[in-house]
Amino acid sequence: MVSVRSVYTSPSSLTYHDLPWIIHHREDRCTLCGRCTSVCPVGAIYLTYHRQRMPKLDILQKKRGNEYRHFVGIRQHTVIEKRCIGCGMCAAVCPNEAIGPEANTNEHRSAFLLNQKGDAYKRGGRRNAVGKTVLDRISFGRISMLTDPALDAGRHEFNTNTTLGRVLPPEEFLRRKANGEWIPPTREIFPFVIGSMSFGALSPNMWLGLLQGVAYCNEVLGIPVVMATGEGGCPPWVLKSPFLKYIILQIASGYFGWDEIIRAIPEMQCDPAGIEIKYGQGAKPGDGGLLMWFKVSKLIARLRGVPEGVDLPSPPVHQTLYSIEESVMKMIQTMSMAFGFRVPVYPKISASTSAKAVLNNLVRNPYASGLMIDGIDGGTGAAYNVSMEATGHPIASSLRECYLDLVRQGRQNEIPLFAAGGIGKNGNVTQNGMALIMLGASGVHIGKYIMQATAGCLGNEMGRCNVCNVGLCPKGITSQNEKLFRRLDPDEVAQRVVDVFMSIRTEMKKIMAPLGRSQSLPIGMSDALGIDDADIAKRLQINYIC
Amino acid sequence: MSEAKQAILTVRGKDANNHRLSSKVFEEEVRGAAAVADELILESFGQHNIGLRLGSLEKPITIRVTGPAGQRLGCMGMKGATIICEGSASDDVGYLNIGADIIVKGDATNGVCNAMAGGRVMIGGSIGARGLTMTKWNPDYERPEMWVLGSVGDTFAEFNCGGVGVVCGINPKNPENVLGYRPCVGMVGGKIFFRGTTDDSYSRTNAKLAPPSDEEWQWLLTSLPQYLQAIERLELLDSLSVREEWNVLAAITPQERALMFAGPMPMAEFRRRIWDHGFGGGDPLRDLAPMLDRSLVGVVETGDLRRKKPFWANRDSAAPCTFFCPIHIPTIDRLRLLREGRTREAYDMLLRYTPFPASVCGTICPNLCIQNCSREKIDYSIDASVLGRAVRDVDPPEALPPTGKKVAIIGGGPAGMAAAWQLALNGVEAHIFERDTVLGGKLAQTIPWERLSKAVWETEVERFLKTKNLHVHLGVSLSKDKVEKLKEEFDYVVVAVGTHQPRTLSFPGHERVIPALEYLKAAKSDNPLPTGKQVVVIGAGNVGCDVAAEAYRLGADQVVLVDIQKPQAFGKEREAAEALGATFQWPVMTREVTEQGVIGADGTVIPAQTVIISIGDIPSMPFLPDTVDVVTVAGASWIKTDIAGRTSDEQILAVGDVERPGLATNALGAGKRTAEYILATFKGEHWVPFNKKMISYEALTLAHYDPVTDRGVTEDQQAARCLSCGSCRDCHLCETICPTNAIFRREIIPGPDGVDYEYVSDDNKCIACGFCADTCPCGIWVLRPF
Repeated sequence: MVSVRSVYTSPSSLTYHDLPWIIHHREDRCTLCGRCTSVCPVGAIYLTYHRQRMPKLDILQKKRGNEYRHFVGIRQHTVIEKRCIGCGMCAAVCPNEAIGPEANTNEHRSAFLLNQKGDAYKRGGRRNAVGKTVLDRISFGRISMLTDPALDAGRHEFNTNTTLGRVLPPEEFLRRKANGEWIPPTREIFPFVIGSMSFGALSPNMWLGLLQGVAYCNEVLGIPVVMATGEGGCPPWVLKSPFLKYIILQIASGYFGWDEIIRAIPEMQCDPAGIEIKYGQGAKPGDGGLLMWFKVSKLIARLRGVPEGVDLPSPPVHQTLYSIEESVMKMIQTMSMAFGFRVPVYPKISASTSAKAVLNNLVRNPYASGLMIDGIDGGTGAAYNVSMEATGHPIASSLRECYLDLVRQGRQNEIPLFAAGGIGKNGNVTQNGMALIMLGASGVHIGKYIMQATAGCLGNEMGRCNVCNVGLCPKGITSQNEKLFRRLDPDEVAQRVVDVFMSIRTEMKKIMAPLGRSQSLPIGMSDALGIDDADIAKRLQINYIC
Repeated sequence: MSEAKQAILTVRGKDANNHRLSSKVFEEEVRGAAAVADELILESFGQHNIGLRLGSLEKPITIRVTGPAGQRLGCMGMKGATIICEGSASDDVGYLNIGADIIVKGDATNGVCNAMAGGRVMIGGSIGARGLTMTKWNPDYERPEMWVLGSVGDTFAEFNCGGVGVVCGINPKNPENVLGYRPCVGMVGGKIFFRGTTDDSYSRTNAKLAPPSDEEWQWLLTSLPQYLQAIERLELLDSLSVREEWNVLAAITPQERALMFAGPMPMAEFRRRIWDHGFGGGDPLRDLAPMLDRSLVGVVETGDLRRKKPFWANRDSAAPCTFFCPIHIPTIDRLRLLREGRTREAYDMLLRYTPFPASVCGTICPNLCIQNCSREKIDYSIDASVLGRAVRDVDPPEALPPTGKKVAIIGGGPAGMAAAWQLALNGVEAHIFERDTVLGGKLAQTIPWERLSKAVWETEVERFLKTKNLHVHLGVSLSKDKVEKLKEEFDYVVVAVGTHQPRTLSFPGHERVIPALEYLKAAKSDNPLPTGKQVVVIGAGNVGCDVAAEAYRLGADQVVLVDIQKPQAFGKEREAAEALGATFQWPVMTREVTEQGVIGADGTVIPAQTVIISIGDIPSMPFLPDTVDVVTVAGASWIKTDIAGRTSDEQILAVGDVERPGLATNALGAGKRTAEYILATFKGEHWVPFNKKMISYEALTLAHYDPVTDRGVTEDQQAARCLSCGSCRDCHLCETICPTNAIFRREIIPGPDGVDYEYVSDDNKCIACGFCADTCPCGIWVLRPF
C-alpha cells in the first residue's frame, strides 16, 4: 500500500524541519475556524486530513486487521514558494492560541533553495545579523555629579534640536549679513528624522499616517520632526499643503514623481524642509532602487508616471553625472536653484571607505547643506539578499572618520553630518542615535524602527516576514493592495509617531542631563562615550571601558 | 502659665578673645544651655545648623538669634522649639525641619524649607531659589507650612510632596513674578497660596491653578493672623484678606495626569481640524486616485475584501482514467452512475463511446486508463476490464433518426467501425466498404482467439450490425476512380484501411520467411500455415508474441523471439507467450535464413523449421486519390492528417493506423474523434477536441478513504472504490467543513454533463480559508486570487 501522500523527492523537496519557521499547531485547541489559513499572506498553511492505521493484533483471539483513525490539522506547505515566513499572523487571528510559527533553531535547508527559477533571492528588511550592534554597546560614561552642576531631565529645559543646513563661521555670517549677501538656508529640526521611505515602498495609509504624526509633532507638540520622502515623489495635494515644510523631498537616479513636484512648485504654500539627493543606500550600496511590479498599483503608476504593474529598478548612478565634482556641483546647484536657494540640499550616500572623498567635495561647495551617510544595517523595501547581507559598511566608523576629517579641517560646525543604518535595530533608538551624535552626527535617520514602532512591522533579523518587496505586508505597511493596506489605520500610525517622538525627546534628555548638556546637542562629545572593546574604542577614538 | 520666672540664658558666638566659635563648639554650648533654660538668646556669628534638635513638647524652648545666622537655621527643628531670627537668614532655613516654628524677620536666601516635613517657617521678607522643595508630610503630624511675605525665587516647590506654601506678594523682590521661574516641577503633594503677578511658567503636568476653595480660604484667614503676629506685621491683615487676590497651585494626581497625557489634542480632532484642512478639506489622494477607498478593514474579511475566492470547478479537470484513455471514456461517470444504481445509463453511456467495451476495454486493451488511476495511491487501481466485460450482452443505444447525411468509410477495422458507429448513432447514414469478408480488421483477423474470445467478439459485432443507419459492404476492392465516385455520392469519405502490408527484410533466404500478418490471418482461418517444431520469430513485439502463441497452438515445441534491440513486448501478449514457453534472445542481427534456421551476424545458428518475421505492417493504399497528401516515414507512406483527422482533400478524412500505428483503442478513439468532427460540421458547430487538463493528485484528499485488502471483481466494488477525481461525488463534506456556513447545495437545470446540482459559496460569508478545497476528496473546489 502506498502512503496517503505521494512524496515526490526532487532536489527542492523539503520537510518541515528544513524550513526556517515551523508551524506549531495544537489540534487539541483548534476550533477549525479557518482564520489562520485565511490570513496567511503566503498561503503557507492549509487544512490537512490524516489517516492513522490502528492495527488490531490479537494473537489468542485470531482477530486481525486494521482500523483507521482520521484526524485533521493545520500544516505548512514544504515547497519553497509557500514556505512559512514566520510573520505570525496566524497566531494573531487564532481565537484559541492554537497555532503559531517558531524559528527553526536547527540549520535549515531552505537557505540552499531560495534561488529559484534562475533568479537570486530578493527580499525586504535588512541584514540578518542578530545581537548587539556596536552602537548598542556604547555607553555614556562621563556623568556630571559633583564636578559640574548636575541637570535634571525632568526639571530642566533642554534644547534637543539640531540644524540641517550649512552654518557659516560667525565672522563670515556677519560679513555677509552686513553686505546683504546670500546666507545658506538652515532648518532647526529634531535630530531623529524619519528616513527615506518612498510613497510606493510604503502604502498610502502608512506614508500619510507618518506625515500626519509628523504634522502633529510640529503643530501640537512643538517637536520639529521632519520626514524624508524617499524616491517616489509626493502626492500633489501634499506638495501644496502646509505640511510640505516637514518633508525632505528626495531626488534619486530613477527621478520618479519629480514632474509632479516641479509642476507643484508655483502652488506651494511653503518650502520643503530640505532636498535629499540619493546616491546610495546603506542596505544595498551601489545597487539602485527597486520597486517590484507587485507594488506598482494604479495609484503608484499615476504618481510616478510609469506603466502599471512593471518592475521599477532605478540605476545605481544618476545617468548624467560622471564625477564626484560634477555630481556635487550640478545636482546641488540645480536643486538649490529650483527652490530659490531657500532650501537645504544635501546628498545621501552609502557608508563606505570612499565617503570621505564625497565629504571633502561638499566642504568646498558653497551650496552643500550637509551629508547623509547610510550604513550597512539600513533597511530596504526590496533588494537582492546578497546586497543586503554582504555589501556595505557599518555606520559607526564611517561617520566617525568623516567627522574627524571635518575636525582636522576645523569645519565640524559648518557641514552637518547625518547618519543612518540600523539605528534602533534592537529597540535602543535613542541610545543608538545619541551615540552617533556624540560620534559626530548632527542627527540620524530612522526607517525600519519607525515601521516597527509605529505600525507593528513584524520583520526581524532572523528573516521574519521580509516580504516587503512583493507587496504582501500583512500589516499593510508596505503593500499597495487595498485589501492589505486598508488594515492600517493612519490615525493610529500618527498617534504612534507622536508617542515615539515624545519618548525619544524624553530619553534624549535622560542621556543629556547626566552629561551636563541642556542647551545644545552633544554633537561630537566623544569623551562621554565608552565601549568594552579595545579595538572598537581605538578605531572610534573613544574610551575603552571594562 | 502659672510659672512666674522663666530661665533666660545667652550664648555668645565668640570666645573671650572675640574669636568666632566653630559651629561644633557653639552647638555644644547651646545644647548645654538649652538643658537648663526656657529661652536662649544666641549672639551668633554665622554658625551653622542653629537650633538643630532642641526643645520638645514637654520642655518647649524659645531661641532668639540676634547675631548673623549661618546656613541651615532651624535645621532638624523639633516640635516645641521656636526659633526667631531677628534679621535675615542664609541658605536652607528649616532644612529637614520636623516641627519647629522658625521665624525670620528679614529675608532668607536659597533652599528654604528643603525637605521639611513638619513645623512652620515664617519669613518676614522674600526668599531665594528652590524654596519649599522636597517637602514631606506624614498625616500623623501637622502639615509643614512655609509663609513668605514677599516673593520666592526660581524653581520653587520642586518635588514638593506635602508642604503648604503661602506667598503674600508684599514688597516682592520681583514684582513681575512672585513665584519665580518654573515653580512646581515634580510637585506631587501640598499646595501653594499666592498673591501677585507670576510669569505663569509653573509646570502644568504637576500643578493646577485655581482660586481658593471655601475651605482653603477659611484655613488661610484663620492661619494668617498668627503668621503676621509672628513677623510683627499684623497691620497687613486687612490688605491680605481680599479673597479675589489669592490663587492656589495644587498638585495634580497621577490619575489626572494620565488623562492629560492622552495628548494635548486627540488625534481624531487633529485630523479633522488641521490635517484635512491642509489638503483643502479632503483626502490628499483624491486627485491621483479618485475612487481609492482607504477606510479601515479587518484582517479576516468576506466579500470583495478577500484576497482569494473559492470556485466549484466541477468537471473542469479530467480524471486520469478519462485523460489517458485514447477514447477519453469517463470511467468516473460510469462508476458514479453505477453507485447511483443507474446501471442501464452507465452501459448506454459506455456504448456511446465505444462499440467494443467487452472486446477491447474488457479484453485486449492494456487499459491505459487504470495505469494512472489515483486509487493506486491508496490500495489498487480500479479494474476497468470488469466494467468493459459487463457490457457484453447489452443492446446498442437508441440511434437518432436519419438526418439525410451520408458518409463512406473505407475499411471495416476498429477505426472505421468506431467512426461508423458514432455517425450512425447520431443519424448519419454510414457505409462501410471492407475488402475482406469479415468486419473487424486486425482485431478479427490476427488476434488469436485465445486472447479475444470468439464468442465475445461475435456478440459485439452482432450488436454493431444491429445499429440503425449502418450499412456494411464486404469484399469490396476500391480504386481511385471508385473513390472519386464515393466522393460524389457521400458527404465525406473516411479512410480507415489500417496497415495490411507486412514489412520484410532482404537478407539471404528471406523467401523462406513468412510475414506475421500472413501467418496470423491464416492461423485464424480454416487453412493455417504448416508450422515446424522449432520456430523463430524475428521481431519481439506484441504481434511477435501473438505469433508465438499461435505457433504453439499449431504444433511448435519451441519458439524463440529474436530482436536487434531489447524486446518491446509487454502486457498480456508477452505474458501469454512466455507462459507457453517462448524465449527471447537479443541482440540478434539476422545474417541469413537457411534450412537450419536463423543465422546470426556472429554465425550462431538458432535452429528453426519455420521462420516468421514480425517487424510491423505498413499501409497499402492504391486507391488513394492524388489529392490526399502522404508523409513518408521509414520507407512507408502514411496519410497526413490534422488533429481532427482531416487530410489535404477537404472531403476525405483518415483515421487509425493509416495516420500512425497504435493500439486498437487508439484506432477507436480516432474514429470517434473524426466522427464527432463530421457531426459538428453537419450541425454547423465549431468542433473542439478533448482539451481538459488532468487533475493533479495533490488536489485530491486521499485520506478520506481507507485501504481495502481486496481489489474486487464486481462492478459495484469498483464503483465503491472510485475516487471520482475532478468530478463532484455530492458528499457534502465541503458544506460540512466550511467554518462560516458559506457553502450550500442547490439544484439546477442539468447541463450537457447531466449534473443537476451545484455547490455554491456565499461571498458574504466566505472568508477564503480554503478549507473546502483542502477537504474536497475530488479536487473540485479551487481557490483563485481575484
